[in-house]
Order: sequence, then C-alpha cells, then structure tokens
Amino acid sequence: MGKTLACACEDVTLDDVRRAFALGHRDLESVKRYTGLGTGPCQGKSCLALAARELLRLGATHGEAAPFTARPPLHPTALAALASVDPDSLPPGPGVPLPPAGPPPPAPRPSGPLPARAEVVIVGGGIMGLALAYELARRGLTDVVVLERGYLNAGASGRNGGGVRAQWSTPTMIRLARRSIEICDRFASEMGVNVWFRRGGYLFLAPGQAQIRDIERNLELHRRMGVRTRLISPAEAAEVVPELDTSRFLAAAWNPDDGVVFPWPFLWGYAVRAEALGVKVRTFTEVRGFESAGRRLTAVVTSGGTIACGSVVNACGAWSKEVARLAGVSLPNQPVRHEILVTEAVKPWLGPLVSVLGTGLYFSQSLRGEIVAGMGDPQEPEGLEMGSSLRFLARFARAITACAPVVGGLRVIRQWAGCYDVTPDNNPVLGPAGFDNFLQMSGFVGHGFMMAPAVAELQADLMTGRGQDEIFERFTVARFAGAGAVREDFIIG
Amino acid sequence: MPRLPEPRFAADCAIVVDGSRVPARGGESVAAALLAAGRPLLGRSPKYHRPRGPFCLAGSCGQCLVRVEGQPNVRACRTACRDGLRVETQNAWPQASHDLLGAVDWLAPRGLDHHHLAIRPAVLNRVAVRVSRALSGTGRLPDAAPPPWPPAREERFEAVVVGGGPAGLGAAEALAAAGRRVLLAEQDRWLGGRLRARLFLPGDPPAPWAEEVAAAVRRAGGEVVLGAAALGLWRDGGEPLLAILSEDPRWLRLVRAPRMVLCPGGAAQPPLFDGNDRPGIFAGRGLAVALAEHGVVPGQRAVVLGDGPEPDALAARLRQAGMETAVTGAAPARARGRRRVTALDLANGLRLECDTVAVCGPPAPACDLAREAGAAVAFDAALGAFAVRAGPDGATGVPGLWAAGETTGALGAGEAAAAGRRAGEAARG
Repeated sequence: MGKTLACACEDVTLDDVRRAFALGHRDLESVKRYTGLGTGPCQGKSCLALAARELLRLGATHGEAAPFTARPPLHPTALAALASVDPDSLPPGPGVPLPPAGPPPPAPRPSGPLPARAEVVIVGGGIMGLALAYELARRGLTDVVVLERGYLNAGASGRNGGGVRAQWSTPTMIRLARRSIEICDRFASEMGVNVWFRRGGYLFLAPGQAQIRDIERNLELHRRMGVRTRLISPAEAAEVVPELDTSRFLAAAWNPDDGVVFPWPFLWGYAVRAEALGVKVRTFTEVRGFESAGRRLTAVVTSGGTIACGSVVNACGAWSKEVARLAGVSLPNQPVRHEILVTEAVKPWLGPLVSVLGTGLYFSQSLRGEIVAGMGDPQEPEGLEMGSSLRFLARFARAITACAPVVGGLRVIRQWAGCYDVTPDNNPVLGPAGFDNFLQMSGFVGHGFMMAPAVAELQADLMTGRGQDEIFERFTVARFAGAGAVREDFIIG
Repeated sequence: MPRLPEPRFAADCAIVVDGSRVPARGGESVAAALLAAGRPLLGRSPKYHRPRGPFCLAGSCGQCLVRVEGQPNVRACRTACRDGLRVETQNAWPQASHDLLGAVDWLAPRGLDHHHLAIRPAVLNRVAVRVSRALSGTGRLPDAAPPPWPPAREERFEAVVVGGGPAGLGAAEALAAAGRRVLLAEQDRWLGGRLRARLFLPGDPPAPWAEEVAAAVRRAGGEVVLGAAALGLWRDGGEPLLAILSEDPRWLRLVRAPRMVLCPGGAAQPPLFDGNDRPGIFAGRGLAVALAEHGVVPGQRAVVLGDGPEPDALAARLRQAGMETAVTGAAPARARGRRRVTALDLANGLRLECDTVAVCGPPAPACDLAREAGAAVAFDAALGAFAVRAGPDGATGVPGLWAAGETTGALGAGEAAAAGRRAGEAARG
C-alpha cells in the first residue's frame, strides 16, 4: 500500500532513500548503509542505478552519487562451492576492487565548513572518535571538531562483525568490555537509535588441549570478576548450537551474557547526539598535516582548511600510524587486513557468536538473519589493504563447513575487509605521544569497536579533569621501550 | 491458455510446489513453469511480507527466491525443472497466498523506520529485538549439509569472454577466427542473450549465429560453458583470476587468461511507481524468452511499458499468444492488486486493467566485474545508470581487459555484436 520499492530485496522504499538524504546521508555509500539498499540477494544489481538517479535528482553531486563499492561474489555462492577451492593454491595478493584506472572520480563534498579554531580536534570519525566527542560534550566540553576522511562507517567501525564480549584474559579488558556491554544495553533508549543488541552469548570452541588450558586460565579470573563463563563439553555446546560437528572440538567456553550488535547505528547515534550538543562532525574532510610549536601541536591542516587547536586526539584506528607520522610521531602500530563476509538471510537458528580458538574463525547471525563471519589469515602481510580475496573465501568456507556442515548450503552474497590496528602486545596505545597535547586512542587490535564506549568515557574524564584511570598509565606508548607490557592473547578474527 | 498450444511446448513432467504438482517442461526454469501455471506468487518479502514473484527472469533480481530440495533462497528463474523437483515458497505463514504477517504492510502504509522503532523504554526495546529476530530471515536453514563439491579446477586459456549475448558472441567469434583458444562463459543455459527473445528487431543478427560461433570456438580448441556465472575477478597472487560457477552440474573453475573481454550485459531495471514490486510485473526480455522458448503465456491481459521497436514487437508476440495487450510510453503511477497486479494506473489518469506488466527498456549495465578489475565507470545520464568506460575497441584502460555490449551503455543487438567483434579483434593480438 503506497510503497514504491527502491530495493525489493530488502523492502527499502523510495521514501526511505529520500528520508536518508534529508537526514544528511548524501552519498550512496551512506544511503546504502542507512537504508539497507543494495545489501540483499541481488547484490545491488536492481537498485544502484535508480538510487543514484534519485540522489542526483535530490541535489547530490556526481561525487556523492558515485556507485557503492563492487563486492564479490557477484552471484550468491554456496559455501560448499567455495570450499571446493584449495586456498593453498592462492597466495595472499592484492584485494579487489582495484582502484579505478584513469583520473580519480569526483569526491563527495565535506559535510560542512570548518571553524578557525577548536578546543579539541578529533581525527577519525569512527566509533572511538565519535564516542569521545559525545562524552566530551556531555561533560560540557563542546568546542570539539571530529574530522573523518570518508563517510561515517567507512573504516573498521563499519566493517566489523559487531561482537561484544566480557570473555577476556586480563582484568582491565574485562572491566572495559563489561562497561561497554552495559552501554550497548542502554544505547537505543539513551541515544535514540536502534543498535539491535542481542545477548546470544559467545561460544569459544577449543579444538585442542592448548586452547582448553587458555580457557581454564581465564575461568579463574572470570569467576573472580563475576563473568559467568563456563567450560562445557561438546555435547553441552551442541545443546546451544545443534548444527556443530562435535567431533571437531574437545570443549568450549560458554558465556550467555555476551552478544552482538549492529555496528553502524552506534556511529550515527553518537554523531547525532554529539552534534546536538554543539560538536561539529565533518565527513569527507582529510587531515593533511599538523603545525606545532615546541612540545605542542597548534593547528591541524586539512583538505578544507586549517584549524587552530587546543589539543588533538588521534583516533584513526589502523590509520593512526599514518596520521601520527604527519606530525612526525612514530607509533608501533601495524595495520593488518581482516576479511569478512555475509550470507543470505535465513530464519533464526544460531544464538551465539561461535569462534574456534586457534583458527581465527568466528560467525554469528545478524538480526536480519544473515551469517556475518570472518577469519584471520596468519599469512596476511602488514599493510593498509581493504580489498577482498578469493583465498579468504576458500579458507573461510572450508573452516566453517568443517565446524557446522549444514551451512554449506548457505550462499555468500558479499565479502569485504577492514584493517585491524595491531600493537606488539595486542593492547591499545593511549595518552600523549610526541607532543603533550597529541593524545592517542588506537591499537585496539580488532576489538576497538566493543571497547570504544567505555574507553571514550574514561578519556573524556581525563580530558575534562575528572580523574585518570589506570589504563592511561598502563597503555602508554612509552611501555614499548621497556619490558612492562602484558600481552592480551584472547584475540579472535 | 497457460502455454501456446503447440506440441513442442507440451508439459512433459511435474514439479511439486508446496506439496501440489505443477505441470512443467523438463529443462525450463521453475519460474517459467509457475508462470505457465498462473502462479507468479513465490513468497513474501523480508520486512513487510509483501507478495513476491519473479521480475527479471534472468538471474539478476532477487525476487524469485524459493526453497528447492531443502536448500533455501534458490532462484526459481535459474533452477531447471525435472520430474518431482521439490519447491517450497518462502517467508509466509501459513502460506504465500494468505500470509498473516502481510498485516505489517497494511499497518505501516508509509513504512517502518527500523532505526527508531520501539527505542524506549529499554524494556520495550529488548522485546523489539526479540520480535525482530523471530521474524527475520527469508528461507529456513538447509535440511542437511549439501554433498561436497568436486575440487575447483584451475585453468588457463588464451582468452576469456564473459557473456554469450550478442557482444560476447561477436568477441568470441573474432578471437576464434584469429585461432585463439577462448573460453566463452554464459551464465544462462543457452547462448544468445537478448536474441533468445526472438523479437527479430531491426539489426538483430540471425538466430543460428550463436551456434555458429560456438562451433567456431570449439574448432579453435576453445570451450563454451553454459550455466556458468562469473563470481568475480580477483587478484590473488597478482594475476587476474576469474571464478565461474555452475550449479547444475556442479563445478567451480578458476580461470586465468592474458585477455579478458567482458560482455555481461546488464540487469533489468524495475520502474518506479507505487506497487512496482507486485507479482505479475516482469522484465520484457525475460518474459519474451519464456514465451519464445517454452510457450509460456503469463496471463490474459498485458500492458507493455516502453517506447520503440522492442515493446511493439513484444506486444505483437503477446497478442499472437492470445493476450489482450496494450503498449504505453506513459509513466505508471500505481499498480493495483495485491497478490498479483490487476490494473495499472497511469500518471495521466488512465487505468489499464491487466494481469501482466512487461517492462521494456535498456538494462542497467553490469559493471561490477569490470570495476573489480579496476575499470572506470561513468554515469550515463541518458541511460540513467552507470556504464563501464570503454573505447571504440572496448579498451578499458586496464591492461588485458576489454568490455563491449550493454555493459558499456544502451545499444542494439547488432551494434553490440559489432562492438564485441571490435573488442575481440583488439584483444586477439
């Protein structure tokens, strides 16, 4: 009744597209994310052109109405078919799509003008930067600008699997993660946008004795801190997920309180609320350099002009090292690509996020019914690569069909990649680096999304003189010079 | 009259749809058999549970997903009928024709803003998450794990042509004539692309041409593969790597070649009007192919949308098949009917009673394969879609990669064949 469908796969109407544009989602990548257009089984074949036409009609530029990234596979492909490819025959190589030949396509316009000065300039409009901007504004510090080179969700914040868990191996990480989970639980009602937080639990499968020992070591800590993790048998794990092949693992760690979220709305929610409090969030604005005087940064040079600043926060995830280098500061962080995919949506069957320890495989079911899943690759070279590989599809398909054979009949509709921001001890980099007012919030090794809500609160407390949490002493950049680093080993993906 | 009364179109088997037998022709698509049976309703949409049926009939859109032999979300238009094939409609309770969850569509006539739905209080939000999850997804998990696929084969050819329509045939012909060992991969189970509609438009190459090209390819030591969808053009290891997949029979091949000519055509574009997703609204080409190849007569009264020789030729075919048919270039405002279109209201106030709407017009170019390889695309304002930027000889600016045919913009079949030949000639050196 009264609906003109722009994307029949996902029931996105033409009105939805218009509403998204009116809310400031002016570029096609953002409209795709806000409306869900082009994310269904036709993989955008039916809607891309009409969405571009509509945006142009509404006043978007050709840079804004540029097509969203081409994502393989181009036809829905059963995991069983992809598992027929031998990944060892495919060495890691450049991902696709390759950058287009010829002159660069037109870029979208910045979302607004820049002020001449701001008390705090946050570089990076991912969840870390936006959550910090909101927390600062909430504490009365509203003279804040957030600079994002692309659209919101262009980086790892928009590319992760949305897992949030308290099952960590150090007290600090458990404390931060639990605080973030509390925030996730209230996010929709407090920030006014749904994030679809669902406590389906986390099920870590242990294929060997080594992983069981890791779990047992953590169990004591979890019990002490009140985290409800249990070591369960394969038969008990099969009660949680009957589709698992129980011959593939010896035991499992089960925590029913962990969960998954839909990542994108966190950024929209933080950005909208921060802007309502006076923060300026500027997308499509690139930082090109810094000006300094003595031990302080005095201005940030951007594609849209120079902003004099009181302090600068580097919250660029895997790009933090590059941005720090613009200030002549060296960080130990290393970007490493991690690939991920989704399948077509099926009715709910998978409660928890399942991860196979020691392999990097993880998979969960989104609230739309898709399986969202990824797997790290020990052979992945360091680098800011965000393209997709066939090798990943093959490795992943073999791993997941071994773990839960029935998913072999599910079809992959889209693959993409993001960059983990890896540090030598798998722990973050916080506090000043190089300059007294150049504050780092990076190095979260693939779990920055779930840590950001809690870390942003503490960082905002620090910057507004409300107290200094121990993480700012523990996770300084200076620790890498000495031997004081305690490694976090419960990393997945 | 569900099918043309010719002996060659007689049903020779039956598929089983939601437990009842539907006459079919072995080898035709499940979608075609269901259209011939007057059943374009195949399931319900994910969010509003709107009736869904095939649109493009060519493997591009996502509107004909059904459960086949216990596997969910299978395209009815890409699945060949055989006797006893088990097909189930999806995402409806109790059934696709009478789905109680279709009430969502009525209760939310302007749509549901899921970003701001039931956000407060927190308790209500938790309930909303549970309810949304319970209603999510379209198909059900497969009944059982599929049998393992045979190992993927890695191969090298001297040239690859993706797409067996006019442009791809032209390119393959030129490459084979130069003695190149070429792989011609067509995603459908027949060569010809739009020529299969047999509308014999001005400039169309003659019908037997596709078979002549296939024979020439084979004579030059090459191969023609049908039912072979191009999954992507990856770069693992540095060299372009094309993966093509067939589901029946099941194989996956990884192909490397120093020359690739991309002629994948495009995807039929749904027109924009209220109710544009109603079952009974089809892409004109897909409908014409079902009529030409399987004698499928989709209903009694048709409206053909579009201007030019293609809609006129299609309308003539539908009339010959006994359908009362109107052609209009006017913009539609609204489709009436629920489980199937019953009338089309035009923006000029006219109402056309119909049970079938055929949408003619150039497709949106399929650019993604070329874009993966680094080819540039540009928005073609006249076409209203993105098209691969290619020179007169199909050069894309990416070494070893050419593009020709409707992937580069709107052009007739004869022009596409000529463009394909030029690209094949440029690529053969």
